Amino acid sequence: MKKNKAMIFWFSLPAVLSLLIMFVYPVCRTVLMSFFQVESVTATMADWSFYGLGNYLKIFKSASFLTSMRNMLLIWFVGGIITLALAMLMSVVVTSGIRGKKFFRAVIYLPNIISAVALATMWIQYIFNYDYGLLNEIVQLFGGEKIKWLGTDLKFWAMTGSFVFGSVGYYMLIYISGIEGIPQDLYEAATIDGAGKVSQFTRITLPLLKGVIKTSLTFWSINTTTFFLWTKMFSPIDTESSTIVPVIYLYDMVFGGKGITQRDAGAGAAVGVVLTLIIIAVYLVTEWLFKGNDLEY
Amino acid sequence: MKMKKLMALLLAAVMVLAMLAGCSSDGGNETKAPETDPPAESKTGTEESKAPEGGDKKYEGVELTMWSMWSTGEPQANVISEAAAAFEAETGAKVNIEFKGRDVNKVLSASLEAKEKIDIIEDDYQRIANTYPNILDLTDMAKAVNYDSWSYACLNNQVIEWVGHLNSIVEQPQIGGFFYDKTAFENAQVTSAPATWAEFLDACQKIKDSGVGPIAQDDAYCDFAFYHTLVRYLGEEKIAELDKNGGWSGTKAEQAAQDIIDLINKGYFVDGAPDAYPASQNKIGFGLAAMVICGNYVTAEVDGNTDTQVNWGFCNYPAVDGGADNSSVYGGANSLAITEYSENAQAAFDFIIFLTTGEWDQKMATEAKQIPADTRNKAYPSLEGSVEALQAAEKPMTWCAGLHENADLKDTIKSMCVELFEGKYADGAAFCAALDALYK
Repeated sequence: MKKNKAMIFWFSLPAVLSLLIMFVYPVCRTVLMSFFQVESVTATMADWSFYGLGNYLKIFKSASFLTSMRNMLLIWFVGGIITLALAMLMSVVVTSGIRGKKFFRAVIYLPNIISAVALATMWIQYIFNYDYGLLNEIVQLFGGEKIKWLGTDLKFWAMTGSFVFGSVGYYMLIYISGIEGIPQDLYEAATIDGAGKVSQFTRITLPLLKGVIKTSLTFWSINTTTFFLWTKMFSPIDTESSTIVPVIYLYDMVFGGKGITQRDAGAGAAVGVVLTLIIIAVYLVTEWLFKGNDLEY
Repeated sequence: MKMKKLMALLLAAVMVLAMLAGCSSDGGNETKAPETDPPAESKTGTEESKAPEGGDKKYEGVELTMWSMWSTGEPQANVISEAAAAFEAETGAKVNIEFKGRDVNKVLSASLEAKEKIDIIEDDYQRIANTYPNILDLTDMAKAVNYDSWSYACLNNQVIEWVGHLNSIVEQPQIGGFFYDKTAFENAQVTSAPATWAEFLDACQKIKDSGVGPIAQDDAYCDFAFYHTLVRYLGEEKIAELDKNGGWSGTKAEQAAQDIIDLINKGYFVDGAPDAYPASQNKIGFGLAAMVICGNYVTAEVDGNTDTQVNWGFCNYPAVDGGADNSSVYGGANSLAITEYSENAQAAFDFIIFLTTGEWDQKMATEAKQIPADTRNKAYPSLEGSVEALQAAEKPMTWCAGLHENADLKDTIKSMCVELFEGKYADGAAFCAALDALYK
């Protein structure tokens, strides 16, 4: 079939224009803005004053930003290990031929179809509640004293735990699709050769899921870098250092907080650029770690 | 072939148009004032505004656009819609209200900078004063209607101090302090609201003896509660100075923190406090706690959350011995402002006055359980005394303003305030030393 270049051009034009206007332009503007002192995010360029690396120095000297980065890294690392490990375990169990596979898959995925706001409210009001929360009921059942799950010591972990609960199902589905793509005859041959289930998992499933694990790591990094709603739910009136994450810091910088009218869109843009660089770095590192991935299903 | 090209061109055009249509702003949840029969004559307005010829009413043909901070269905939104309909019936001016919700502040700056078609905005008065561009100076218009005679001087003066002139009209005033359950006080034989720290401690002991937790405290408001104690001892200016540069140790901030620690040690906070918002304040509704320090909206929140009708009372934060500021009270407001580029500023102003005075202001106070903007009206019963307290205030205390002076430490200090109420510090000196450590 003869290529019609004009038609290709006209059909791709809306998508290209959309990409340029809605993606490339904001990205370029944000990167540029991060080198200027800008109060309002919509200020015209005439109102910008060049600041060099001033915004970057400002955020890296800020105690709040450093706390937010520490919190984000903890969510990424600790939450990541728990979420991805649980998701892998669930996916292996669900695909192992157990009865009620569809039921378990639906149950584990269920938190993903519930609004995160409703999910967080459930955790805060019904699970972690000091007086009648499920956890304290269990603690008291075993003769223990009530625990302040949402006190300053445990609030961060309570929030991370709730987030993990809401995330496992999503990654489980990704792993299930990967596992189901692996030909069954590999497992049959391994069984004939005398390989046990653990051996099959470590020598067949895991190596062949390299690509899927790489993808899930990138997704997890994006999810934790853009972590926002859970902090808003666990610190509803105003930001607290125990739950602050970089996007919340950015949000407060750009829009101000309760009782705060100062804004700094330039510093907010710098935070955005730093977060983007972190995601790119994580992607490159995972690419490097999982290189040589010549066989996958 | 030609047909194919034409089809391609048409399809591309349709896609671009669809995209542009998708991008067009729907402007949030727009509600137009319902059509009503016009009354015989116009009653509002002080000056002529731009109105097309041919109409009998003062603003016949005028259309105003208002961006509201409420969401459709909320009591405030309902009253505003009804007032807009009544205003249209009376003056002919149609008010198109877009209920943007609480996050209106996230889009207002950009929209006002772009001079989007907005005549009236509604938001926190501090943000209107200090954040938004292109806001009209209302001094002359306010003078023409004698606004000072029925409004709150402390709130107006605060705006003038921030901006240099009056740029907003108070719609929903707020006050902060102790909101208490009168019944719990009566049961504990506390006959009057405590005015001094000694009276406050005495009241707490009596309430505790009666089997009720004296003070409810949620984590979200720990900084607000501690700020009140700090203001009493130091005053807002001194707090701002310390917040910026450190040096808390050796000041009366130590005594302020010690007062909180003493309250904890005496068992004056209800079990579980500081609890996750709003668990602790709800305990007033359940009859487990007697008072809470918060803004006036706490009364409606508790009544709504617990499906009760608490017999509310209000008192200012008690005075302390040797305090630097023993009288100031937290005051704030959701206010209305007009854009500088509005073509119908006078009509907009008349609508604002229509909404914030007389019948409609009373309706707002009653249905949204608020303090009236018009001091001649009555506050919702649970907020009895709040109008007088706001009128008596010389200068309102702003929301933790002193503790927000150092934006970098704001979040950490807030968490430290929660820790203070959790009893994590041995004494006031230890708390102030921990604060000072943040500046090293």
